[in-house]
Amino acid sequence: MVPITYYLLLAAALFCMGMFGVLVRRNALVVFMSVELMLNAANLTFVAFARMRGDDLGHVSAFFVIAVAAAEAAIGLAIVIAVFRSRGSILLEDLRTMKH
Amino acid sequence: MTLVEFFRAAPVAPDILAPSLWLIIALPLLGAFICGVFGKMMGRANVQLVACAAVAGSFVLSLLAFWATSHHNPETGRLAAIFPNPFGIERDFVRYALAYDYGTWFSVGDFRVNFGLMVDHLSGILLLIITGVGFLIHLYSTSYMEHDAAYWRFFAYLNLFVAAMLTLVLADNLILLFVGWEGVGMASYLLIGFWYDDPAKAWAGRKAFVTNRIGDFAFLIGTFLLVLLVSAFTQQSNAADYNNAGTTAQHYTAALEKKGPVTFKGLEKMAEGLVDGSADKVDLSTPIEAGPLEGYTFGGVMTAAMLLFLLGAAGKSAQLPLYVWLPDAMAGPTPVSALIHAATMVTAGVYLFSRMSALLVLSPTAMATIAIIGALTSLLAALIAFAQDDIKKVLAYSTVSQLGIMFMGVGMGIFWAAVFHLMTHAFFKACLFLGAGSVMHGNGDETDIKKLGGLRKEMPWTWATFLVATLAITGIIPLSGFFSKDAILHGVHHNHLQGLEWVSSLVYYLGLLIAASTAFYMTRVYLLTFEGPRSKEARVAHAHESAWQMTLPLVVLAVLSVVAARYAFGIDFFNMTAQPVLDNFLSPVFSATKRITDASALVALDTSRPQLVPDYLKAWAVALAGGGAAAFLYLRYFPSRVGLPDPAFIRAVRPLALNKFYVDELYELIVIRPVKFMSFLLFRVVDALVIDTVAVRGTAWVTARVGSALRYVQSGDAQAYAAVMAIALLGGMAYALIQVMQ
Repeated sequence: MVPITYYLLLAAALFCMGMFGVLVRRNALVVFMSVELMLNAANLTFVAFARMRGDDLGHVSAFFVIAVAAAEAAIGLAIVIAVFRSRGSILLEDLRTMKH
Repeated sequence: MTLVEFFRAAPVAPDILAPSLWLIIALPLLGAFICGVFGKMMGRANVQLVACAAVAGSFVLSLLAFWATSHHNPETGRLAAIFPNPFGIERDFVRYALAYDYGTWFSVGDFRVNFGLMVDHLSGILLLIITGVGFLIHLYSTSYMEHDAAYWRFFAYLNLFVAAMLTLVLADNLILLFVGWEGVGMASYLLIGFWYDDPAKAWAGRKAFVTNRIGDFAFLIGTFLLVLLVSAFTQQSNAADYNNAGTTAQHYTAALEKKGPVTFKGLEKMAEGLVDGSADKVDLSTPIEAGPLEGYTFGGVMTAAMLLFLLGAAGKSAQLPLYVWLPDAMAGPTPVSALIHAATMVTAGVYLFSRMSALLVLSPTAMATIAIIGALTSLLAALIAFAQDDIKKVLAYSTVSQLGIMFMGVGMGIFWAAVFHLMTHAFFKACLFLGAGSVMHGNGDETDIKKLGGLRKEMPWTWATFLVATLAITGIIPLSGFFSKDAILHGVHHNHLQGLEWVSSLVYYLGLLIAASTAFYMTRVYLLTFEGPRSKEARVAHAHESAWQMTLPLVVLAVLSVVAARYAFGIDFFNMTAQPVLDNFLSPVFSATKRITDASALVALDTSRPQLVPDYLKAWAVALAGGGAAAFLYLRYFPSRVGLPDPAFIRAVRPLALNKFYVDELYELIVIRPVKFMSFLLFRVVDALVIDTVAVRGTAWVTARVGSALRYVQSGDAQAYAAVMAIALLGGMAYALIQVMQ
């Protein structure tokens, strides 16, 4: 059996890649995909721990995360499309409304 | 009723008069207020009336107070003018004095100052001089200032000055005296710079003010030292100390709580307690056990305090090293010079030391310093006066010189003679100054004696009074100046300070030299102004005699400067061994001093009278020699050499004396320049650089820079925010990891 450490390291690597993507990519869609990557890293740890503990709690959590991520992706994409319509760009640098 | 009985029954008994003593100060103060505030709309005559009447009223009250000091109860024939010394036991009355305490003026913790006024024979004499001579000078000013537009301001200042001077003299404690001390300084500043639209005159006022402040600072420190000394004395003394002083510890502390530590009577008692007794614990060489002065001896602190008072007195009384303001102060109106710089304010130092004589005689070092400073000042000023051509400048240096003689007297412990000289000097020097003013008034404000001459016939009253005053100051028998100066010189010669015996002879021989110099330059001034032909450079062809308001004071002062000599003779006119009148008269004031010198043996005071042959004759010969030399030079020698150059030695010495031995320049070099340089440095480094650049503009700069740096933080960029959060998270993680690993 593969020790849990390997799963956790893989999840950490995935999470860091996702986070790196969120922090440095300029395209909002790619940022979304990176967010999905981070969520999946989290799912991976849930499932790995569930397997280690031998119960279903982790699986359930992973399902919830997937469901919420799907909903969030739908809303996020809607926002991105709305922004693109109003401003003609989905580059994050151009969206600095938080300043005000 | 005999004359003695008449003078022994005052019109107002001392206990009735004492509560009204404040009126003596309040009248001129009220006059100053009325003239200063309403003067402009009152008109010339009314202002003059108010100002003169205020001083005249003060004079009448002073006369009553002075009379009351000698009041005897008509029924019992006993002295009524006595009050119990609050610091002494019941028997220890202050005789020939009246006092009134108007209650607490202020108190801070243990320190208390009362508004207490006291008139004894010493302050009584000064009261009469201030109000009497002051009134004459007010009268003189009504004519002298008749063309001046700001006459009302002038009279307001004059009245203010008189009020301050009276406060100084009437005060029964050091702090109230200091109020008067500062008040006369301020009034003198206002009066010297009276014509303030002329920058030179305004500068002269400022110089006087600044120089006086240096002295006042020393005065204050001296006062604080005395306060500390009194508290150290009460903590350390035992009962035997108070036996010596004629009081008890309970009495002394109770009086301290009631009257405060700086009352003259209290200081006197402390001084008596400090001299050696048989079983007492505290004397002059005892170290102080606690407090800020810990480790110093009582005598050492006393010496330090007296030296500080000397510096204070040097400022007010124009002694080395602070005399430089007085000659410059001649820029003010002439009545001011007569009132302030001859008769009253500048003698405040002499008065202070006479008042504190009981403390002064505890410190031979301080006394020797005072005497030597006085002698050196006097000599230096006399030498400078040799070459001055401005009539008022000569008189100013002469005043500095005469004050030096008074300081010699005070320093060598012949207090009554110093007061006597103060009194006679007030008369004849005021007369000389007013005479000089009259000369200027009649000659189109000409002050150069080389451009005067021959005024004898044209200004007979001025001439006659000036002659009398000149003879008085030169010391010609039988005028008052002779006796007062000789009394000082005699005392200086015969008194001795323990361990400093050489001072006595040094000061005495310097004194003879000064007497000869005085005779020389005063004769010179008189001859050049009044005798000989009229100068070709004279401003007006014929001088006119001044109005009666100006000549009357001159006559009165001239008469006074003659009859004041009466005070030098013994009461028993034919018995030459008796004490001089004034010595006898002032003895109640200086009785504590006498007791202290007898007990301590630090100073050997000699009460012998000057003898006719060795003393009087010598002094007279010296004065005649000085005057004769001047008469020969200016009546025979120089007129015969008209057109010829001066002899070589005169050409060598004269510029030196003419330029006042470059003392002002020396001060400029060693004091003013460094101070100015320091100020410049402080201005450039501390003010301009540290405060302006770093502190003020630097704060603004830092705020602006920090703001513009923080601007990048608030970019509105979600990614940047997230990056910050991520880094923070990372940091937190790293920290947690380290904690866990440990």
